[in-house]
This record gives sequence, C-alpha cells and structure tokens, in this order.
Amino acid sequence: MTGYLRAFFANRTARPFAVLVLIVIVLGIGDDGHGRVLTTSTAYDVLQQFATIGPVALALGLSMMVGEFDLSVGGILSLAGCVAVMAGSGSPAAGLLLAVTVGALGGLLQGTIMTWLNLSSIGVTLGGLLTFGGLSYFLTGNTTIGYDRLDVALGVNAPLLGIFSARSLTAIILFLVATFVVSWTRFGRDLLAVGSDRRAATIVGIRVDRILIAVFVISGLLTAIGGGLLSYGLAAASPTALADTLVPGAAAAILGGVSLSGGKGRPIGIAGGVLVLSMLHSGLTAIGVPPFAHWIVTAAVLFTVGILDGEELSRRVYSFRRAVGQRPDTPPPSASSILVRQQADH
Amino acid sequence: MTSAGLAMHAVPENQRTESAACAGLSASFFPGSPILSVRDLSKSFGAVNALKHLNADFYSGEIQAICGENGAGKSTLVKILAGVDRPDTGTTCFDGKVCTLSSSKEAQRLGIAMVAQELSVCPDLSVLDNIWLGSMDVPFLPRRKDLRRRAAEALSLLGAEHIALNATVGQLTIGERQLVEIARMLTRNARVFILDEPTATLSDNEIDRIFVALARIKRQGRSVIYITHRLAEVFRICDSVTVLRNGEMVGVSRTADIDRKKLIEMMLGRPFIEMYPEHGYTEGEPILRIDGLCVPGAVRDFSAVVPRGDIVCIAGQVGSGAESVVRTVAGLVYNATGSVRVNGNPMRLGSAEEACQHNIHFVSGDRAEEGIFSSLSVTDNLVATRLRALSRFGFLNPKSLQAEALRLAGWAGVDQRRLRARADDLSGGNQQKLAFGRCLGGTQAGVLVLIEPTRGIDIGARAEIYQLMRGLCAEGYGLLVASTDLEEVIGLADAIITMYRSRQVGSYRGKAINMQDIMADITHPLK
Repeated sequence: MTGYLRAFFANRTARPFAVLVLIVIVLGIGDDGHGRVLTTSTAYDVLQQFATIGPVALALGLSMMVGEFDLSVGGILSLAGCVAVMAGSGSPAAGLLLAVTVGALGGLLQGTIMTWLNLSSIGVTLGGLLTFGGLSYFLTGNTTIGYDRLDVALGVNAPLLGIFSARSLTAIILFLVATFVVSWTRFGRDLLAVGSDRRAATIVGIRVDRILIAVFVISGLLTAIGGGLLSYGLAAASPTALADTLVPGAAAAILGGVSLSGGKGRPIGIAGGVLVLSMLHSGLTAIGVPPFAHWIVTAAVLFTVGILDGEELSRRVYSFRRAVGQRPDTPPPSASSILVRQQADH
Repeated sequence: MTSAGLAMHAVPENQRTESAACAGLSASFFPGSPILSVRDLSKSFGAVNALKHLNADFYSGEIQAICGENGAGKSTLVKILAGVDRPDTGTTCFDGKVCTLSSSKEAQRLGIAMVAQELSVCPDLSVLDNIWLGSMDVPFLPRRKDLRRRAAEALSLLGAEHIALNATVGQLTIGERQLVEIARMLTRNARVFILDEPTATLSDNEIDRIFVALARIKRQGRSVIYITHRLAEVFRICDSVTVLRNGEMVGVSRTADIDRKKLIEMMLGRPFIEMYPEHGYTEGEPILRIDGLCVPGAVRDFSAVVPRGDIVCIAGQVGSGAESVVRTVAGLVYNATGSVRVNGNPMRLGSAEEACQHNIHFVSGDRAEEGIFSSLSVTDNLVATRLRALSRFGFLNPKSLQAEALRLAGWAGVDQRRLRARADDLSGGNQQKLAFGRCLGGTQAGVLVLIEPTRGIDIGARAEIYQLMRGLCAEGYGLLVASTDLEEVIGLADAIITMYRSRQVGSYRGKAINMQDIMADITHPLK
C-alpha cells in the first residue's frame, strides 16, 4: 500500500491532483461546517479561474517543457483580448479568429528570431511581452473599450450543467488536446526530447529549430484563445486588466510538475496545477480569508512542492549529515551527471 | 615518420588537393568502390584545426577501425559523416554520388546511423521513446505494437532483454543507457553504422554481444566504422584500420598486415621523449595519501600515495574511474567514501571548500566548463583566488591587482602584454596556463590535481605545460594527474597507477614504467 502511495507521489503529473485533494480537505475542515466550500458555486468559480489562468499556464508550461521560457504570454493575452473585442463586434467568431492569428504570428515571429539568431528565449520573449503589451495600448488608445455584444459576453460565462461555462469548457478541451498531442504523437515525443537533452535530440536527427518555433506558435495560439474569450466575458478590452497572468501561469506550471530545466511534465499535470491555484483562491475567499493572504498561502504550497522536487535534495541531506558528523550508512544512488563527464575529443 | 617500411598504404601527397573524385583511393586492397568517402575534408574549431585536408574511404561488408590519439580528429570526422557537424571545406560521397551531409536527418535519409561518443539519450523519456527518437520510420501517430516489437528485438540482439521498454532512461545505469543507444542504431535501417567508443562503459559480456551484432551487420553486407582506444578490439573484430594523427590521415592498413606495436607507432608517429623534462621518482615524504577510496558506480577501493616533488599519473581509458579519483580528491564527488589525508591530516570528502583549505588545487582539462572564466579578462582570471589578499575592507586595490597579475603571468608564461584580453581569446595552451597561474602562489606548496592537463593543446604549448608542472615539483608540490593519453602518462609520470573499469590494476614507478605493461593493464582486466 505504501509502495503505491510512494509511486503516486513520485509521479510529477499525479502530484498536483494529490495536492488538490489535500487542499479541498483542509479547506473543508477550515470551513467548519458552514457549507461554504463544497458547493456548485465554488466549483463554477474554480472553473472560471481555470479558464482564465489555464491557457496561459499551458502555453508557458509547453515552452518550459521544451527548455525555454515564453514570457510574452502576458502581452499576447492583452493584445489578443483587444483585437478580439475590437474586431468581434460583428461576428465574435471572426474576432476570435483574428485574435488567434495575431497570437500565432507573434509566436512565429519570436520563435523564428530566437532560433535564427540563436538567442535566449528569455530576452526575446521579454521583448515580446513589452512589444505586444505596448501594441495593445496603442490599439485601444490607452482606454478601456467596451464590447457591444452583451449576448456574447453573457453567453461565454453562462453556467452549463451547473458548474461549467463555454469558456471553461474551451480551456478543458485545449488541455485534453494538448495532453493527447504530447503523450501520443511523435511531435510530443520530439518536444520532450528537445527539452530533456537538446544535444542528444540534434544528434538523433530531430529538427530542434522547427520544434522550438512550433512550440512558440502553439503558445501564442493558446494564449490568444484564452485572452479573446476572457475579454468577451468581461465585455471589455483593457490593456491593463490582463497583465498579471504571467506569475500565476508560471506557478501553475511548476506546481503541475513542469521542470524549469525542461523535458519533464505533462499538460494534464499543468491542469492540476491550475486547479490547485484556483481552488486555493476560491476556497480561501469562500471561508473568508482576506485576499492579501492568498498569495502567501499559494507561495507556501509552491515552496513545499519546489523543495520536495529538488533533484539534489537527497544529495544535500547526505552531505549535510556527513558534515555534522553522522555517518550515513549507504550513499544515495550515484548522480550520473556528476560522475560521468563528457569527454571532448576533437 | 616511423611508419616507413610498414605494410602501409599511405595517402599520396598529390591526392590531397583532389576533390569531388569519388573513386576509391585504396582500390589496391579493397574490392569494389567505397560506400562512403571524403575528400579534402577540413574542419577547425576556433584556432584548433581538428581536420586538415583529410581523405578517407569506407567500404561495405567491412568493419573499419579509426585509431588515433586524443585530439587526432576521429570524433570530428565521424560527426561530420553523421551530419552533426559541418565541414569547413571538402566533399563527401555516398554510394558514388556527391552528397551534402547538412543535418543528421539528411544522414539518416542516406542510410548512416551513429552512436556518438557522448551518451545521447534523453533521460526523461522511456527506453522505447529513446530508441525511436528522431527516426523517420515513426509516423505522426506512432503504431506502438510494431515499434515495441522491433525495439525489443534490437535489445535482445544485444542481450539486454532485462531493460524494460517502459523504464525511464534516467533510472538506468550508464552501461544500460549505452546499450539503449546502440539498440537505437540497430533499429535504423542503415547502410553505414558508426560507433564512437561504444564500449568504454560496458562489461565484457555486453561487449561480446555488441561484437556479435556488429558481425551480423557486416555479414549483411553493410559497413561499420568503429572508433576505439582499446587496440585489442581493433585486432579482434576489425578488418582494416585507418590511423589519424593531428587531423591528418597517416595511413590505412588491413589489420592482418599490422601488429599492435606498429599500430601504436603509427598513432604516436613521433619520438615522444624529448617533450618531457628530466625527472625521476624522488620518494619524498608523502603529501597526499588515499586509502580505500570508493565512489558508487565509478571507483572500487583505490589507494595511492603522492610524494612531495613527484608527479603521479592515474592511467585509464574513458570511464575507467581515474577521473573520479581526481574529482574526489578535489572535493567534487559528494558520495565518495574512504580516507584522504593531506600532510597526515584527514580531509572530509565531498566539499571543494574543504579541499581548498587543505591546499589542494584542481585544474581541469575541460577549460571552458570548469577551468577559466572565459568572459573575464586575463587579469581577472589570474587574481580570482587572491582577491582577499589584494583588497582592504572589501575594496580592491587596482595597482596591486595589476602587479600580482603581472607576476603570475610571468610565472605561468602567459604573454604579459595580453593581460586585458578576454580569456577565451587565448589559445588552449595559454588558457591552461591561466588555470595554473590562478591556482598557485599560495604560501606553502600543496597538492595539484589535474584531469587531462593537455587535452586539446598543441605540441609546443604542451611542452611548456609539462615544464610548468615540473617547476611545481621543484617547489615541493605533489601532483596527481588523471589522463587517458598514454604517451603523456609515460613521458611525464614519476609513478603510474593503472585503472581498468573502476578497479586499480597495477602501479609502476621510475624505471619500471613501460608502454607494454601499461597498455595491457588499461585494455585488459587482470584475472
């Protein structure tokens, strides 16, 4: 039994769901019998937040899986929102399509610059964040532009089956498709391989540049879908309102088991990470914890997962015990990266 | 050149300029035309010329060895053949047609598969995924059943049925990862198979299975290019041997027409004594004593004594554990066990800080990664370990920094006019001198531990590095060197300890040092 449990917790993808269950239990206890947490309205609320953070977290997570970092998601989210609202007054579908095109083009541009000039993604996408963010101010003239199709605004957020909405269902479908692609297609394998060991991927004949560009295009696309629907739902496009999704997105990806060094993690895990964040936020609000405490609680959860995840944890514990004079009987399994240095032979 | 009079087919000088000619050079003793040939191939990395106008041919139905010292250009050549690196100049022909090997995908399309020298598996993926990684046979939606069957077949051909296809590669041992990589090569439906030192991390049993698999490939009429440092393997399975030296082709021979001694002579090619300063085992007081050193998976029960004023070399091939011994002494291996004493004082293992306090200095052969600060100036590099002494209340004194840098540059033989240059603008030899200069000049003589001190350094600078090392001995330092370069070990060492696959095999000192015994030690296990 403990063996199964240990295997479950060692699985990076399963872990966020375990954390989620834990949080629901703790919140349930904290609720103290008032019945404020386990309600359909909380569930709806959680899924609405899932729809907001989810696509951004997925976009960021995919770029992290491939060993890069797409910081431009915040900018693309704003820009896509503005484009959708401004172009979608006639046909919302056309507005969304245009927004998605803009997002994908943004990703294509950044990915191409990055691979062509061999630049770091952090620098390029930081530039992208400022550029796309700035463009959205430019487009809207630094004002909030209202969306005249109130029927659409209400429609995307209208509850379906009690807890879902068109917006959250879209996010769920995006995650399902991404999970399928990463786990079941050759593209997914190549993506993880590029993140796991880029040199090895090059040697076996994977076209690393193409994979990187594709990931950035997908990232822009996902973010644009999320941003467009979000702005429809808010019935307004404001360049300032959407800027702070980058941090929750990154937190969700890390909680979901994506490694900063690449090659690890699955979209379904990221979904778990997003749910953990949303559940914490909605649950804490429901039981009356003041909003400024939310981020501290979230940070505590993030720290705990991060420390448990540290690849060098066992090694550090071993070194520490040795330093304080204890004699640990068996050394932890050898860390191959330390023992085997690659030999350069020109 | 000492190879005159050997049963050799040396490449004529006048053919070096000829290009785009796909006809075999060595038609005299190879039947048919070559499947793969290169003409006038050159490649340089920065200031280093890895390949110089190289011509070579490879034939179907043969296992062809490429031999040469470290830095001879073997790996560069096969990386070009596999499309990983691109040559600066030169032509490659595949099956009689000129081709451009612009990427490893292109090489795969032609039918060339390679096992690279460095492990090229993705630790986060499963064995199955790693075997099929990058293969053009895999459709967008992989048909799992078929792929599983073929992967399992490849593994069982190597006697590695125990490796589960679903296991994550990161959990396998280094040897198992190597087998996965070879299995990957076998699943490629290639006509030329290239293996770059595939056996360094494997056991005898596993090596036998690989040889069986290679013999099978040969019988199927395909071509195998095999790089190895273990000369015994050349004579055991290879039909011909191509020898490279300093990026140039020295010659090609059938293995039947050559013996081990001649092959070594060809690889070295020059008398190798004059480079090394006079020395002898002094039997000074021990400054470093290692007892019962173990590193899981790398070193089993290693013991040695390094006397003051002597150079002790640990000779062994890649993966023999020699490097791990040196890393442990430098405090860089966290899970080592055993006892290390410096001047009689026990040292806690696994802490580089502790090692520095015991006056142990480490100079790595991998200069870019762990030798110099490549983006800083020569001055900054030289004074990096002395900033405490050169500052007052944390403020650096530029004048004394300059003076100290000038002194150290003079001592280490770095050009004193280039103190402002960036470290990575220097040649490899000068970079290594920087690393030496930075380590030294402590108040009392200590221990210097080195890994491959002259890797990638040309002959002239090598001699200067050896002079530096001898100079340190005269100051009372004790030196411990891990090297895979046999010539260097024999020319340089006062005492030699040989290692073979984690185990200490023998030790030699002074007059007892000779090439044959040491070569035998590091290529064969003791019974």
